[in-house]
Amino acid sequence: MSHFALTIIGRDRPGIVSQVTEILFRQGFNIADSSCSILGGQFAMILIIAHPEHSAKEAFIEAFAPLEQSGLSVFVRTLKPGGETRPHLEGEICMISVYGSDKPGIVYRVARELGSLNVNITDLNTKLVGSEKRPVYVMMLEAVLPGGVSSEQLAEVMRRLKDELQVDISVRNITPVEL
Amino acid sequence: MAVREILLYPDPLLKTVCEPLETMDERTDALVQDLIDTMVAAGHSVGVAAPQIGVTGRAVVVDVSKSKLGRENNHGLLVMINPEILQSEGRETMREGCMSVPDYTGNVERAEKIVVQFTDRAGKEQVISASGFEAVAIQHELDHLDGLLFLDRVSNLKTDVFRRKSR
Repeated sequence: MSHFALTIIGRDRPGIVSQVTEILFRQGFNIADSSCSILGGQFAMILIIAHPEHSAKEAFIEAFAPLEQSGLSVFVRTLKPGGETRPHLEGEICMISVYGSDKPGIVYRVARELGSLNVNITDLNTKLVGSEKRPVYVMMLEAVLPGGVSSEQLAEVMRRLKDELQVDISVRNITPVEL
Repeated sequence: MAVREILLYPDPLLKTVCEPLETMDERTDALVQDLIDTMVAAGHSVGVAAPQIGVTGRAVVVDVSKSKLGRENNHGLLVMINPEILQSEGRETMREGCMSVPDYTGNVERAEKIVVQFTDRAGKEQVISASGFEAVAIQHELDHLDGLLFLDRVSNLKTDVFRRKSR
């Protein structure tokens, strides 16, 4: 089964998901994985789709033309075999919350520390909240710690960063419990 | 007695409201032993409910004493027949997974402290107060008796975060 990465973005309005999934359904695609959200007023869809017959995107790309006509941007990429599977991630999972007055570089500075510790970011959301006059930047980040790095160690690194950036940062372990 | 196979969703027994167990007889005792054996055999498991091994009677076993999160605060091995939560207070969110729903986890908000009434393995009425991870584990297992999976209680990461923000 060939897998493709499909990205769609456009000004949010009701009916986008239905419009997109109707095309996928009629073309015989399965949605293997997806994440869709409103980002800055734009509705963004990221989907991993699979088709039993198509191995090249040229075979079906025309079917998405109506989406482009209705103001959505469509991007399709063919995934290499094996690249479509969910990776098996081992290690402690941490949720890092960062919030404070908006300034450039918050995401970069946090990500740089994580990268240098070889911590894998698995999910990242940012939002501007608060009032127009006093915007507050909020970042929620989920990360997998490599062996040898504890959440306490990470919390210590983030404490230093907190002083440097003048924002609030908290680290908590959210490793799933199997019940 | 026996390590039983853990049923996986979409087995309909996992969505069944279980029947109260009438008496502490041999059959119930055998069921309890199977639940314990199955929980121990799973290694990392801290609880199993009867419907997970295909029995729609109201019985669960919980033991968080060997897990990192529950080691400090627990009642050891709990056998709960016809359990009922009498009181609950506080809220806490934990990332839960379930042996019957492999490969998926979600944030679930549950009571931080509960008072539970149940019949133990010896047939005696018990009332205990549990908190922290043990309370979460008990609530998760008791949900199974009402045909509820953690997926029925998952709260969204983002809305959860922002709801808390606006308080």
